[in-house]
Amino acid sequence: MRVKVLFFGRLREIVGCAEESAEIAPGARIEDLFARFRERHPELAPFRPSLVASRNQEFAPWSEPLAAGDEIAFLPPVSGG
Amino acid sequence: MKRIPMNNPAEDLIQIVRQPIDPLVLMNHVRGPGDGAVASFDGCVRDNSAGRATLYLEYEGYEPMARVKMLEICAQIRERFAIHRVAIVHRLGRLEIGETSVFIAISAAHRGPAFEACRYAIDTLKRIVPIWKKEFFADGAVWADGEIPPATPAPKPESD
Repeated sequence: MRVKVLFFGRLREIVGCAEESAEIAPGARIEDLFARFRERHPELAPFRPSLVASRNQEFAPWSEPLAAGDEIAFLPPVSGG
Repeated sequence: MKRIPMNNPAEDLIQIVRQPIDPLVLMNHVRGPGDGAVASFDGCVRDNSAGRATLYLEYEGYEPMARVKMLEICAQIRERFAIHRVAIVHRLGRLEIGETSVFIAISAAHRGPAFEACRYAIDTLKRIVPIWKKEFFADGAVWADGEIPPATPAPKPESD
């Protein structure tokens, strides 16, 4: 199944794009999706402890299972205002 | 005499924009005949970061989620404070020194709740709204240190 993955801030710069589509196995969790990108971009690894994940525009635990069509984002510490 | 609704979330103004913010428009938006106070917060671009001269800032946001979180802030301050109307606008893109990046205006019958709600709104915005700021200096650029949004809320119990 496919999910949409969004990157912001320094993560967007590391990955080199703001949005990707990823094909994942049924039962995969948000953590698995991040691991996939971490393999391709090892520079992502040090940021993992400071990231939070969102699923369909709501904060979500890393253990949350994915569903087809989900919009997942990995969010660096926020600095608006 | 027609009664003007005082506490109507549908009148809240929540926007993410890329053009300069006009504070007067927002203050007038929340202002009504039943108000005794309009409190506002103007977040503006400072010319330095810990003493290092800033040239300009660039803001980027996860716009649909940022909007959801800004609406949540409105709901939270309506629960906690006796306020009437709320306007929260955040600007994205390149901002020059002195420009407004975020403006909040809140009306209430009395100044206490207006001030308190305004403080609560900006403090919460800086913790939970997915917007990021990059600071540009003469000799490079850095993503500003941010805040890690709080741990995800416990899963909601099934409703059925």
